[in-house]
Amino acid sequence: MFTTGTKFLLGSTVVAGLAALAYGITQDGIMGTIGLISATLALAFLAAVNIFTRDANVLVTPDLAPERTAAAQVAPSYSLWPVVFAFGFVTIVVGLVSYQAIAIIGLIVVLAAGAEWMAQAWAERASADSAHNSEVRSRIANPFEFPIAGLIAIGIIVYSFSRVMLWLSKTNTVIAFGVLAAVFLTFAFLFAYRPSIKHRAVISVIVIGAVGLVAGGAAAGISGEREIEEHETTAGLALEGVCEDPEETHADEKASQTVAATASVAARVTLGEDGSLSYALNGPNPQGENSTLTLPRTTPSNVLFINESDEHRRLSFDFGPMADPEIGSEDVFIPNQVCTTLVETGGKQLVTLNIQEPSFAFPDGYRIFVPGVDTAELTLVVP
Amino acid sequence: MIRGGGVAAAVLLSLAVAGCAKDAPQDTFQPAGPNAQKIQNLQVPVFAIAGVVGLIVFAAVGFIVWRFRDRGQAIPEQTHGKPALEIGLTILPALILIGVAIPTVSTVMALNKTSDTECIINVTGQQWWWEVDYPVQEGCGGISDVIVTSGQMVIPVDTPVLVRGTSRDVIHSWWIPKLNGKRDMVPGRVQTNRIQADEPGIYAGQCTEFCGLSHANMRMEVIAMTPEDFEAWKANQLEAYVAPEDGTVAAAGQAEFISQCSRCHQVDGLEDADGEPIVSRPDVYIYSGAAPNLTNLMTRNTFAGATFDLLLPECRSEVWNAPPDEVGPAYLEGVTPECLNSVDLRDWLRNAPAMKPMYADPEKLEDTDGMYRGMPYLALSEDQIDLLVAYLLERK
Repeated sequence: MFTTGTKFLLGSTVVAGLAALAYGITQDGIMGTIGLISATLALAFLAAVNIFTRDANVLVTPDLAPERTAAAQVAPSYSLWPVVFAFGFVTIVVGLVSYQAIAIIGLIVVLAAGAEWMAQAWAERASADSAHNSEVRSRIANPFEFPIAGLIAIGIIVYSFSRVMLWLSKTNTVIAFGVLAAVFLTFAFLFAYRPSIKHRAVISVIVIGAVGLVAGGAAAGISGEREIEEHETTAGLALEGVCEDPEETHADEKASQTVAATASVAARVTLGEDGSLSYALNGPNPQGENSTLTLPRTTPSNVLFINESDEHRRLSFDFGPMADPEIGSEDVFIPNQVCTTLVETGGKQLVTLNIQEPSFAFPDGYRIFVPGVDTAELTLVVP
Repeated sequence: MIRGGGVAAAVLLSLAVAGCAKDAPQDTFQPAGPNAQKIQNLQVPVFAIAGVVGLIVFAAVGFIVWRFRDRGQAIPEQTHGKPALEIGLTILPALILIGVAIPTVSTVMALNKTSDTECIINVTGQQWWWEVDYPVQEGCGGISDVIVTSGQMVIPVDTPVLVRGTSRDVIHSWWIPKLNGKRDMVPGRVQTNRIQADEPGIYAGQCTEFCGLSHANMRMEVIAMTPEDFEAWKANQLEAYVAPEDGTVAAAGQAEFISQCSRCHQVDGLEDADGEPIVSRPDVYIYSGAAPNLTNLMTRNTFAGATFDLLLPECRSEVWNAPPDEVGPAYLEGVTPECLNSVDLRDWLRNAPAMKPMYADPEKLEDTDGMYRGMPYLALSEDQIDLLVAYLLERK
């Protein structure tokens, strides 16, 4: 019943399975076990194929009519999908022992290749006309293939562009992609203006461009991103105890360029050249005359600090005492403060406040001040 | 034919009559201030132009459909391209649109102007009521301490007022149709709107951006009064808190208020037994982080997002229908014991979620991390409600 080749493969399968079992029990690590299990599965798969085809030996099927023998069947057309399918399996195995993302990619490849393989196999049985079969396959598969392939292509292009952009400096990125856009436009114009250009030439240019893009993206991705400066944030400054410190070393020269600095502001607080602190709202501004700023309670309010003095300065908000969060005691109090980083001369920086308690809950209320400038102080009222 | 015409006339007449209303407090076609008048000056001619164009289009379509209806005739010759007609039918709408765009853009820019305002009032939307606060300022005739109220905004007449609005939860939209166009109130943004009333009166509006269960019950009113009356209103709002006399029902109500209500509702000046101010923390219990300040509740005419009247119908009518020169004094009367709409107020205290759809069921609060949207059911007894009503009645 079993051919020699089948017996060999079945025996090998059993041996590999037992070896996997023994290795898994007696040895540390899973790499060997996974390898042996993979071998077991592969051998089992080959044994199954061998059983199905009877070792490609027509003599072992004497009862079948000659036209029904395996050798008499029309051979399926060539297909890369089994190879891709196998590649997907290997990728899954590699992913299982390295990174989960690789295993997921392998799974996607296996599913996609399996679907394509099945669609092709199904279509090849539709009729004896291979052209008709091919059309049937296209009708079924193309509505899925084209959008998915398009998305993958767009993803590759976008990802490659992003890697190159992040690899180049800001200035060079602008130059490079300006030139690239001009080149793209030129070729597009040529192709549109000269429809007589050979189809093959157009395809060649597109392929060269695509390969160049992907290669560039891969090279840039391997090379890594350019150094991106981390801007200092105001979070945690109060706990560092610097909100009353006019001498901190670092001034955030870039703060004025942030998007937040142009966002919707509830009030603009300005430190003047003369050391005075004033605020402005849109509408009737009590600028320089009223020393009390009102902000709503439990509402995020953006306050923009504008430093017009000739030194680096920060704006600080004092919300009275609070229990020290590091000690966790209700008896030990520290100043409850929020502040900007040091802002350069002429610079701006935004602070978002969301004040939960009213100012009248504290005997001294709330205040806004600039450390190191005694004359710069406003009263903050929160109802 | 005559019968068909009669039906058509009846339908048109019904549509026309449907536009009539005896009491239409939110009628945008009755402007009561310069900003609303600017909108009126724009919308009337634009509606007229649109109406004429619409009539021409409908008439042409109707004529063509009737004149060339299928009577078994041969299909006429099919032609393509009449440059003169195509160019003409492109240029004509373009000219009409340009004619509409010029005054529209001009009006939009004029409505955005706030630099001439003389008084700042902050408006904050939350589900489902409006908080109104008057920041410390030299405008509004000078305000020395913050005034916080809700539902109703009091403004001096003939004074350009800058409304600075935002939201604590979702997007709302503040609109007093007789005073200006609507303005979306967006969390994290400060939006501005200029309003001005030509004469004393009460101008109604409501939220015009869908904001959840009780969107339709999120109302507001602007009360415009003479500068003298406005000064009296401000002075009353800034008066120091007066505690109820010991031994009275209201004094017992104060204790009940501290026990049941002060977690969320602020009454400025209210102190505990040690003389420390009682500070509400609505941010701990309520999703939007705020509850109406009740310091001067009975100086308002409404409660619960201006959904319910604090005044009985006859008393409300005396305020709302008062001649312009009497609106201020009538409003400043506030809510007297005789005029108190105790039925609605008691119902509200008894079971607020049953009065106004709110997201206050504890079993449904997983999405809000246990916080309420709106006022919850407090399971108060009738005695507790009596005490609270007595206390609240003194909040003037």
